Amino acid sequence: MLKLTSNSIYKNFGGLEVLKDVSFTVEGPELIGLIGPNGAGKTTLTNILDGALKPSSGTVYMNGERIDTRPPYGVARAGLGRTFQVTRAFRRMTVLENLLIPAMAMRATARQRDFEEKAQEVLEFLTISHLRNEYARALSGGQQKLLELGRLLMLDPQMIILDEPFAGVHPRLMDVIYRYITEINAQGKAFIIISHDMDTIFTLSRRLLVLNYGDLIADGDPEIVREDPLVKAAYLGEDEE
Amino acid sequence: MSPTRIYRVAGTITIVLLLLIPLASSELNGLGPLVLSSYFMHLAITAFFYAILASSWSLLAGYAGQFSFGHMAFMAIGGYTSGLIGKFIRFTTAPSELCTDIPLLGNWWLVILNIRRVGTIDESCLDMAKTQTLPAGTLIIFPPVWASIAMGLVMGAVFGLLVGWLVLRLRSTYLALFTIGFSEILRASISAEIPITEGQSGLELVPLFPAGIMGFTSTSKIPPYYAMLLLFLFAMALMTWLAGSRFGLFIRAIREDEEAAAALGVNIVRYKVLVFVITSTLAAAAGALQGHYIGIITPNTVIILQMSLVIAMAVIGGLENIYAASVGAIVITFALELLRTNITIGPLHVDMTLWRLVFFGLLLMLTLRFQRNGLLFPILERISRGRVAQETVSIRVESEELEEVVTEEEVALETEEEETQPASSEENPG
Repeated sequence: MLKLTSNSIYKNFGGLEVLKDVSFTVEGPELIGLIGPNGAGKTTLTNILDGALKPSSGTVYMNGERIDTRPPYGVARAGLGRTFQVTRAFRRMTVLENLLIPAMAMRATARQRDFEEKAQEVLEFLTISHLRNEYARALSGGQQKLLELGRLLMLDPQMIILDEPFAGVHPRLMDVIYRYITEINAQGKAFIIISHDMDTIFTLSRRLLVLNYGDLIADGDPEIVREDPLVKAAYLGEDEE
Repeated sequence: MSPTRIYRVAGTITIVLLLLIPLASSELNGLGPLVLSSYFMHLAITAFFYAILASSWSLLAGYAGQFSFGHMAFMAIGGYTSGLIGKFIRFTTAPSELCTDIPLLGNWWLVILNIRRVGTIDESCLDMAKTQTLPAGTLIIFPPVWASIAMGLVMGAVFGLLVGWLVLRLRSTYLALFTIGFSEILRASISAEIPITEGQSGLELVPLFPAGIMGFTSTSKIPPYYAMLLLFLFAMALMTWLAGSRFGLFIRAIREDEEAAAALGVNIVRYKVLVFVITSTLAAAAGALQGHYIGIITPNTVIILQMSLVIAMAVIGGLENIYAASVGAIVITFALELLRTNITIGPLHVDMTLWRLVFFGLLLMLTLRFQRNGLLFPILERISRGRVAQETVSIRVESEELEEVVTEEEVALETEEEETQPASSEENPG
């Protein structure tokens, strides 16, 4: 079973402390929301978990293996996949090629045709199978988000971090993304979802992490976290007392 | 006919024609009315040389997004390595005592000719050894040309590895500036080290086939034609295989977005270095072969103008396709020569030896402005992707029709349920 442990992660950029002693553990197929005001350190934390950034101090372990010293491709191969805040489809490659990349990267001797069937299933699940041979640049913003999610299904990680999956998405596509998260989570994959869409995040997640200026100020059941005075103060500027 | 089949047929016809061209050369008395001059054969060899450079640069810049200006430097590394081995390395059956002697297997010695300047003349230590230290009957063998060329490839790969590793974190402008710097350092070093490289005078290389081959003399154009053609075909076959494999998929992903590719499990360091090594080796191979064919290599081959020529060939043909880039190189090599013919229209006399580069520059500018993917690439795209839009629409229409049928069935089912429900509620009012 998946176990990800973040031990006292600290990250500074010069005099700017972005993350201060952030510790938490993810066990099994949890569905976690990660929220916080702008500049709270959410994306930095994601970048550290995925290996794109090294922490100034602290460690990250996944299933007993230290992953904060690994490059991003090593973290991906260890079983952690992510999407980005701004969609990053490989625009001058076809939708199918976009999907084949993670699958091929995970298996050294595999051929493209070994994964074409799986790619087709993923595209059908995401309702974009008709776009299979189109260049990714021809897709709408929402469809590109779906494509990013499809790439994660092809990577088949144990844990998925989604950075703002609902931002700027049409309600119909939002339903597809919502279904994606719940169904994939039910299949045994853990999720950390970063979002500013409070209604969705409170409905969707079963555990909430709240970052504020680099501090992890709350970690627990969404309904309890919602009433936490520190969280209220961070979001609404209410008095902590 | 499927796009793959079109490519296969066109490729096979092209290869057969290229293999048959020498039959029409003047050396073999032509093919009926078609007699291709020795000059044409020379142009064809040069065209293949540039085609290898342009296509391999297209793999590096167009596929992998590594916009390097160092490609001609790698070409020169291949040529100079092969030339320097021919100049400084000999195999003997006894130590020379005056040169640097390295023992090999059996009684053989590898002799590195030290540079001994006597007055204004460089005197070979081996010539001195012949009269002073070498026993009578000692065999002195020149390194075979193929071995020198092979060493040129190795050096190309080594420098490709080095530069590829050094530019790992550099992108776009910084990568371009770094590789320009590398080229200039190489050019300046070659120019400065006159005792070794002969500087601006150029380093002489032995002919590709010093003793001739299959009845052809060492100055015949036909053996070098086939040698360069085979290297070109090998390079294209290798790059076609690479472009269609996981390697091609990954380097294009790196071109699009390095961080996203890494997050999806692609080892970007490995593939970025590898693409440098492969393309540098191909450039070095072309350089070594061309050096031996021409018989001399000079530092001017590394100047930025030469690199610009290769870039322009790839851009005009189509940067993101190795075939388009290579065809672009071949067409432009011939076009630049054909444009040498002066034009006289009434009182207007145009000296095309000077103006041809202006036309060439104009073509490059117009291509970049109106057809950024090159002139040939859109045609290849039309062949391979002409049906995609139609497919997309038909699949979408099919799925929408299916959706409509499902919805209609659902509506019918719901109506049926609604019709039956009131009856049941009437039956069970409480």
